[in-house]
Amino acid sequence: MANLLMFHGRECPHCKNMMPLVDKFERESGITFDRREVWHDEKNADLMRSFREAIAPKCGKQLRVPTFLNADTKDAVCGEIEYEKLRDWALKQS
Amino acid sequence: MQKRYWRCFVCNDIHCGVAPPELCPTCKVLNAYVEISAAEARTILGGGPDTSMPVEDFRAAIERFTVGNEFQVNPDREKVDLLLSGIFENERNHGLKFCPCRLRTKDWEEDLRIVCPCNFTIHETYKGIKDGECWCGLFVRRK
Repeated sequence: MANLLMFHGRECPHCKNMMPLVDKFERESGITFDRREVWHDEKNADLMRSFREAIAPKCGKQLRVPTFLNADTKDAVCGEIEYEKLRDWALKQS
Repeated sequence: MQKRYWRCFVCNDIHCGVAPPELCPTCKVLNAYVEISAAEARTILGGGPDTSMPVEDFRAAIERFTVGNEFQVNPDREKVDLLLSGIFENERNHGLKFCPCRLRTKDWEEDLRIVCPCNFTIHETYKGIKDGECWCGLFVRRK
């Protein structure tokens, strides 16, 4: 099973909008994301920073949220994306 | 370019930049700025009355900031309220009004780039895009 992470911020509207889509994907696929809030939990923030080299090139050279990351392959996709894109990306990881 | 601090010897305005303004914008005196240390600037700026900014003042400040620009504050009030709550949480918890939709790296120079408002006009979410907006969506291109 792939080690899928979702980095998000509590007050980030894009993250808020993605949550129902992540819920739906998890229900339909049985695959879950390890959700990590990064602005109110410094351990989660440090975890995201530890993947900076993998995330930044795909996210405007920054640590943007939401970011979806395969912690094993370091493949990442970020931003508010359509359900189909999230689903296809996550299924590709599994 | 290394930015330095300057103090108006007449009214104590503080300027941070590579060079001082010729004209003090507050007291209008010419050639009034003298270079000071960062510590002096901090003391002067921090020693006065409480200058913290309530969220509604910041909302008004960013509205004024957009006047005359090609962008505006997002008309979606609910989204703006969520973002402002995050910006102020970040100021309380981390010292500056960091964007709630990006994470600070702990590199000072890097992190100054995500203080709101950031220079979003050069970002791929805004530059050259008809319905462009800053990364978090606080600012959107004016229609």
